[in-house]
Amino acid sequence: MEPLIKLTNIRRNFGAIQALRGVDFEIGAGEVIGLVGENGAGKSTLVKIISGFDNGYSGEYSFQGKSVRFTNPGKAESAGIAIAQQELSLIPTMTVAENIFLTGHNVPVFSTRRSLAKRTRPYLDEVGLTDVDPLTKVERLSVGEQHLVEVARLIAHDPKVLVLDEPTAALGESDSIRILEMVTRLAERGKSIIYVSHRLDEIFKVCNRITVLRDGESQATKRADSLNVDLLVELMLGRELSNMFPPRNSGSQAPQVLMKVRNLWPDGLVEPLDFDIRVGEILGLAGQLGCGSGEILGAIAGAHQTRSGQLTMDGQDFLPNRPKQAIAKKIGYCSENRKHDGLFLGRPIFENLTSPALETISRHGWNFGNLEKQTAHTIGESFTVDVSRLTAEAGVLSGGNQQKVALGKWLAISPKIILVNEPTRGVDVGAKAEIYQKLRDLADGGAAVVVASTDMLEISNLPDRILTFYRGMQVGEARQSDISMAGILKQITDPFDEAGL
Amino acid sequence: MNVQTPTLGIGLFQPIVSKLTRHSSGLVVAMVVLFSAVFLYGAFTAPNFMTLFNLKTVIRDAALVGIMAIGLTFVTLSGNFFLLSMKETAALCIIAFATAMSAGYGFEISFLFSMVIAIAAGVLQGLLIGLGGNPIVVTLGAAGLFFGIGSFWSDNLVVSFRRPHGAEWLGTGSFLGLPNITVAFIVIAIVAELALRYTNFGRQVYLIGANRAAGRATGHENLSMAIKVCTIASVCSAFVAIAFAAQVSSAHVNYFSSSFGSSGDMTILVIATVMVGGNSIMGGYGSTIRSSLGALFISAVDNMMVLHDFNSGPRVLAVGLMIVFSIIVFALINRGRRVQE
Repeated sequence: MEPLIKLTNIRRNFGAIQALRGVDFEIGAGEVIGLVGENGAGKSTLVKIISGFDNGYSGEYSFQGKSVRFTNPGKAESAGIAIAQQELSLIPTMTVAENIFLTGHNVPVFSTRRSLAKRTRPYLDEVGLTDVDPLTKVERLSVGEQHLVEVARLIAHDPKVLVLDEPTAALGESDSIRILEMVTRLAERGKSIIYVSHRLDEIFKVCNRITVLRDGESQATKRADSLNVDLLVELMLGRELSNMFPPRNSGSQAPQVLMKVRNLWPDGLVEPLDFDIRVGEILGLAGQLGCGSGEILGAIAGAHQTRSGQLTMDGQDFLPNRPKQAIAKKIGYCSENRKHDGLFLGRPIFENLTSPALETISRHGWNFGNLEKQTAHTIGESFTVDVSRLTAEAGVLSGGNQQKVALGKWLAISPKIILVNEPTRGVDVGAKAEIYQKLRDLADGGAAVVVASTDMLEISNLPDRILTFYRGMQVGEARQSDISMAGILKQITDPFDEAGL
Repeated sequence: MNVQTPTLGIGLFQPIVSKLTRHSSGLVVAMVVLFSAVFLYGAFTAPNFMTLFNLKTVIRDAALVGIMAIGLTFVTLSGNFFLLSMKETAALCIIAFATAMSAGYGFEISFLFSMVIAIAAGVLQGLLIGLGGNPIVVTLGAAGLFFGIGSFWSDNLVVSFRRPHGAEWLGTGSFLGLPNITVAFIVIAIVAELALRYTNFGRQVYLIGANRAAGRATGHENLSMAIKVCTIASVCSAFVAIAFAAQVSSAHVNYFSSSFGSSGDMTILVIATVMVGGNSIMGGYGSTIRSSLGALFISAVDNMMVLHDFNSGPRVLAVGLMIVFSIIVFALINRGRRVQE
């Protein structure tokens, strides 16, 4: 069978960064292909090339057997390739019907709302929105329903290929199920669907075949029924899972409590919460985007507003309202966005590494560089940052090395607690394993590490203990061997059995 | 990558030369070559330009603007843009100094009185900026306020004090054959550069200027920084005001607004100096040495044009062109090299 879309040896460079280095991809009519890979593996770049947003690639792109090159998304769409992106492109104050026919395509110049609604019906039925009135304003629908409307809008143009980029990333379980049902239904009607997702369970539910991207290269496309989660993860990581994460702390059952968090109520959570942070352990805060785990870390570090709370460490009660106060208590915090507040990109790496600890590298306020050089060297070596490049600007480093610098700078204050939100976002596989090992070393060295992450693999394999969060509240806790990916997934997506599974 | 240059004088030129050769876009090289050619031609054909006496004149002329530019450089490097109130602070302080002098309080008391006012002005502006006020709005407002107070206080008249007075040494005295104001310029330039390079305060200036959010996250807050740098800039303004009053034995609120230097307006000239030196407007990159050299450079071009019998119109235009020129050259050199934040 001739594939509908066939990409051969696609390459794409952004400056010195090779986002894609030789990707092969194909999809046949009526087929659902899962596209998976870690953050930064090149999924979104590939999707952008397929749908005409990115024209700066080299390689062969053929559509229906003919070589093509779409110079803009409009051309790809008129050829029959439509994309639903993560960010919705609907106009919230307009009705569903108006949004679906926004471009005026296939509609008489003068038409009433009622006639528009009538034309909208079949498309809504097709995506499973049978109970939605086409004259409802889009802003009154749930996020999941809005996603379905977006797809309906694309279907109105009768595309041959539909690209869904992380359609369920922001959705609860019941909405996700509607999306999955729609995918299956559309495939039965002969549409080809490229399904991009982080959620491996979904991939196995709907996809016929799976293409894995790793570090900008495509691994051989495999049939979904020939794979299982472990094999797929190994394909994504390029190594066995057991080599990726350091072994858990096998020490005593209940290590000494380092910090008591009581009645902490950061903005963004629906209720105050209590928990303990223990010496030598990695504590994980698991949850989906918007679950509030990042806000908790920010509140402990004094970087995020909080309504109430009391932290107790070494017999002292405090609640920092500025990062400076937390640093004085030897608490280090890395937010999820290192470029925003984790790094001084234009300053040398060594200045980044010593930035929280100017007092310890200087004498009476003077810093002639000797102590600083030593400190920066020590940290650089322990975090495997190339020490010969310490005078280079931090901005020239790759994502993985930047993250190491952002994390490593806290070593300079000999931290008692390190709080890390999304420790490996935008980090390549090799650096990931190094960062996990380093976090484990820190914990073994007597510090406590608290990690918040939306990455299921990471959160279910790295921590000794996890707390699970769902929509701004804590829903569970698990220790050591009780931690399972399935259990966590259930808790962070559907803790109250609302989806009726 | 970055060449560490411990020596002060070469510190500016070596990176620029290496950057020029590395990122030698044709336009940059053409502009620099063209400008150097015009400058050298002017320098060699101007009567008496290349004499020791004239060199001293150039430095002395650069001193007043240079000292204020050094103060302002701290504000710019720390990412707090500019103080638009530089000349109004100077105006207020010159009135304060001259009023105290004419009342017979002597140099020391008058000096301290003027400085206290400058510090109060700096702290006030720094506080408002540090609490999140827009630097342009805050300092524009402060400028109006200070100028108004100065005008009201002096009744818009010239305040003069009789010679001989205790400030003569600063205004017209000399040390080892150099005017004392030149010596002050050199000392301040060296102290400022040492402070920026070798103290924690200096490091904080760069860190906060490079990324304010990361600065806050690592315990370096802009509130105290804004207060410090605004105070430094204000104190430099006051020092210049006092030195100028010492020279002319009088004060008027308009001394720094009109007929000062070649471009007329002191604030604009000071900002131009900071920019001609190639300091990053957004903060984080640059040095006070750059500003000092910028002042010398502007002064040298101005001096050369005077020797060529240009009147003030073309000289003002030349300063304007130099600003445009340096902005373009430094922007082109830095393009693509610096990571977007």
